[in-house]
Amino acid sequence: MKFWNKVFAIVWKDAISEMRTREIIFSVLIFTILVVVTFNFAFGASAETMKLVAPGILWVTFTFAGILALNRSFIPEIEEGCLGGLMICPVSREVIYVGKMLGSLFFMLIIEIIALPVFALLFNLSVLSPQLITITFLATVGFVAVGTLFSALAVNTKAREMVLPILFLPVVVPIIISAVKASGQALSGEPWGELSSWLAVLGAFDAIFIVISFWIFPFIIEE
Amino acid sequence: MENAGYLFASFTIIWALVFGYVLYLNNKQKNLKREIDLLKKVREDENTESAINS
Amino acid sequence: MKNTAIISRLLPVLTFLLFAASLFMVFIYVPTEETMGIVQRIFYFHVPVAWIAFLAFFIVFIGSIMYLWKRQIIWDTIASSSAEIGLVFATLVLITGSIWAKPIWGVWWVWEPRLTTSLVLWFIYAAYLLVRSYASEESRGARFSAVVGIIGFIDVPIVALAITMWRTQHPGPVIFGGGLATSMLITLLVCLVAFTTLYALLLIQRVSLKKRENEIKILQNDDLILEKDTGG
Repeated sequence: MKFWNKVFAIVWKDAISEMRTREIIFSVLIFTILVVVTFNFAFGASAETMKLVAPGILWVTFTFAGILALNRSFIPEIEEGCLGGLMICPVSREVIYVGKMLGSLFFMLIIEIIALPVFALLFNLSVLSPQLITITFLATVGFVAVGTLFSALAVNTKAREMVLPILFLPVVVPIIISAVKASGQALSGEPWGELSSWLAVLGAFDAIFIVISFWIFPFIIEE
Repeated sequence: MENAGYLFASFTIIWALVFGYVLYLNNKQKNLKREIDLLKKVREDENTESAINS
Repeated sequence: MKNTAIISRLLPVLTFLLFAASLFMVFIYVPTEETMGIVQRIFYFHVPVAWIAFLAFFIVFIGSIMYLWKRQIIWDTIASSSAEIGLVFATLVLITGSIWAKPIWGVWWVWEPRLTTSLVLWFIYAAYLLVRSYASEESRGARFSAVVGIIGFIDVPIVALAITMWRTQHPGPVIFGGGLATSMLITLLVCLVAFTTLYALLLIQRVSLKKRENEIKILQNDDLILEKDTGG
């Protein structure tokens, strides 16, 4: 159980430093809501159109917010030199991975918890269905599983945070497709059975990539 | 023979890109040769220098 | 030593012969397909090109794993060479797919499962090569791109699955209608073999070129040290 203690220490450290400055959470939050509003302007007014594009808008927004969130998980480490400090600690690399991943997960979930009701308000849709919540959770886990890995990679390159979208977006295509499709069905009030194939894709993606990223992560930050 | 243009275009593009890649490899090889010749020259100069100095 | 010399002489000749044979089969031997007309013959090159794009990616995958495991440069050399060639062929898949789509379906692009997956594959190749060039040092570039190669390869089947599920909800155009006549099958196989030999040829060339480049870099560093000594 020492493993989880160390993981929690990392998550807690990130959470505290975020709570002290609150710089990222507010900007990502405002960004998210702004994106939703902008899409609203872009896609016009009729209710049927909105129903069709709503899932897509939701997930593009979360994807962009996710990229911002993931970038922030490693960039401060590089800039303040904390990554070196972290590596000197007697923690295995995998602990750093899980810690960072959970930190990003909580961060994104908070953003989503706030953004979803706003979204419901602007689009006149009900978002409190257990289906939508499940979809959102599964998709977010997949995002942070791969995203943490790529974020650690991206900050070590010359182009820094700009590399992350290039790496990240092609790989998470299955998440985006499944989340959008399933969300569309959930918002139409379909029962669980209809969603099951998309949820299976999300679940499989999460399982596979958590394991693979966990295993590969040490190769990224070794020196 | 409708659409023969498309058929021709696709084959030509394949040929063009593969050939382009071969040209790119050729270029790299030429540059490599230049580097080798340069290095040889530098080595020669150093050898004559140390021969003179010793 | 002798064996590799023989292979390196034979391979270009073999490639040429196979391509001559496939040109004959595609343009003279095989009958014209009834529904699509002569444009359908693009199929005989489009499919092998796609096959090579995926085969090259598999080699990138193997090379990446071996490099991370054994840390021998040769594996990174093989992986990056295959990635370069793979990018060329992935580009060709998209272009020939487009050129085929236009006369058949009237549009330059269709969100058909195989084409769309090829598009994602193209982006993953691009990411592999970009990460290499954006890395701060060579060894990091090799390590990082190996990670991209591994993750990308595992991801592609999932991408294909998701895209196929997505498109079958709105059935799109189908590339193969019905079965293939034997003559068509043989032609396709000859073309497949021809392209595979071409890939092998290009890969061997690129790898030996990269090996020389790496040797030169080592020599140059040695020379720098030498210069400092005699500069005295």
